[in-house]
Amino acid sequence: MKQLNRLVGKKGEEIATDFLRKKGYKILDQNNSTKWGELDLIVTKNNILIFVEVKLKTTEDFGTPEEMIGKNKLAQVRRTAEMYLLNNPDIANKFDRYQIDAVCIVEETGRVTHYENITF
Amino acid sequence: MLTKVLSASHFGLEANLIEVEVNVFKKGFPGFNIIGLPNKSIEEAKERVKTALINSGIDFPNLKIVVNLAPADIPKEGSLYDLPIAIGILASMELVKLPEQKSFFYGELSLDGGLRHTKGVFLLGLAAKSKGIKNVFVPSESANEAAVLAGINVYPVKSLTELIGHLNGVAKIEKLKYIARGLLSTDDSIVEFDFAEIIGQESAKRAMTIAASGGHNIFMMGSPGAGKTMLARATSGILPPLNEDEALEVTKIYSLAGLIPAGGGLVSVRPFRTAHHTTSRIGLIGGGTNPHPGEISLSHNGVLFLDEFPEFSRGTLEALRQPMEDGEVSITRIAGSVNFPASFMLIAAANPCPCGYLGDPKKECKCTPRMIMKYQSKLSGPLMDRIDLHINVPAVDINKLMSNPTSHEASRGAIANSKKIREEVIKARDVQNKRFRGLKVYTNANMKNKHIKEFVDITPEALNLLKQAVNTYNLSARTYFRLIKVSQTIADLADSKKILPNHVAEALQYRVRSE
Repeated sequence: MKQLNRLVGKKGEEIATDFLRKKGYKILDQNNSTKWGELDLIVTKNNILIFVEVKLKTTEDFGTPEEMIGKNKLAQVRRTAEMYLLNNPDIANKFDRYQIDAVCIVEETGRVTHYENITF
Repeated sequence: MLTKVLSASHFGLEANLIEVEVNVFKKGFPGFNIIGLPNKSIEEAKERVKTALINSGIDFPNLKIVVNLAPADIPKEGSLYDLPIAIGILASMELVKLPEQKSFFYGELSLDGGLRHTKGVFLLGLAAKSKGIKNVFVPSESANEAAVLAGINVYPVKSLTELIGHLNGVAKIEKLKYIARGLLSTDDSIVEFDFAEIIGQESAKRAMTIAASGGHNIFMMGSPGAGKTMLARATSGILPPLNEDEALEVTKIYSLAGLIPAGGGLVSVRPFRTAHHTTSRIGLIGGGTNPHPGEISLSHNGVLFLDEFPEFSRGTLEALRQPMEDGEVSITRIAGSVNFPASFMLIAAANPCPCGYLGDPKKECKCTPRMIMKYQSKLSGPLMDRIDLHINVPAVDINKLMSNPTSHEASRGAIANSKKIREEVIKARDVQNKRFRGLKVYTNANMKNKHIKEFVDITPEALNLLKQAVNTYNLSARTYFRLIKVSQTIADLADSKKILPNHVAEALQYRVRSE
């Protein structure tokens, strides 16, 4: 099961990477994981450092991918991102502004939606 | 960039200076935080400010924003920080230029970027005056409250867009003209009942006139349906208008409580408040973590009417004792101690027993002696001692009720209507205002004992009568002084310089309770 989850996640990240690259984002890092959480994608555009959370669902029958990203998930991503910034001061100093984005993918319908600067 | 905007917080009737510090960070995750002990209504200001700015055509910055309400150890509440926060953000983004002179910003924002009527603007104006702050920017609907104060520039702000234009020197907002106090008083208070509509009860009407003239507490006892409530409600129509000092005191409290309607300025109609007998002690006396005025303070310089007096809980009634004597109430909470003025005229109405017909000549009382004792024990000695006028309101004879008013008038001369009685009351009140000029005492009832020595001129015969009465009826020292006060009011009504024996006699007649 864990294996399958990881596989699904990987597929999602590939779709998201292609999608963002087409939109003009530069991919800096992928699957950067720490003890507390994982940063799916780290990208940049317009001198803003963006941490992207990717969510893929095969169908929308059991809920949308948007529903899966809540307050707690956002807090987790944010904490992990802050950790990343501390561990990589050279990257942190290169950019002034940081933000968190989400890319939600539904495999069945092929829907890919990009949410910029999510806050709760 | 960091900017500081001045605003105020209220604690009791005092306004504290609050510095709203806004910092928009160039670096970091976007966010919007308010610190400095805000309560829920200030936390929600985030959404109001954000939406109002966007709807005013400003791009809300995707940056980290921290707002500090300093000093940070005073708990703050209310929606009044919306405007200073919004202006602070705009100034931090260098979209507006803050005025060079010290200025207060104050007001609640609507989502569309407009400003809403906000309570406490009058107190803000007072604070601006005492702290030497020249300009106040307040919602246009509340601006009249501050415009009655001389020496400050009051800018009525309709919307955020308008204020941005003003601060950037594009389109100036005209400051409000100082509203002279005399212009505000209105005499056309609409009253429910006219005294002329009340049939019979001549002695009760007379007692009401005395009470209204001197601000004396009055207690009415009578069987159900005799007209106690009607008498009390009609009293609101014979109250004299507020004088300038009184109006300022009342406006302070009403501004804090948010009872001044949009566009209103100085309160000019004497308060008449009614409290139901389920009113809690806090509701009546005032209180709360950040103390709010209760009904007794809201009826400051006016009338508090408590119908079904013995139905109030014992604790509530006994809590009235200290404010009735001192004319103010001191409320102490963890956050501090607050004094609210509470110099009110109490009108209390009660039935003589639970069934209501004790002592009625026609109907039999069905209560047991125990029930009557329990009912009347609510009216404790110390409380009743503080009430100057005790009257019985007996049921009106049916023949009198049915009689044609015109023929009635013809036989007894015209019945005095509220307008005529009010003129009498105003005349008597003018005499008192002249007497106590500059003392912060407005009525005979508020005289302190030292004032009695100073102002009251009583003839030796009248004093003798009073002494006799005190000895015969074993009246307390407080009652003695209160009798003098009532006698003084009766003398004022009669336009007499001295208190004569017949004035004392009338005062005594209201004092001695018939059992």
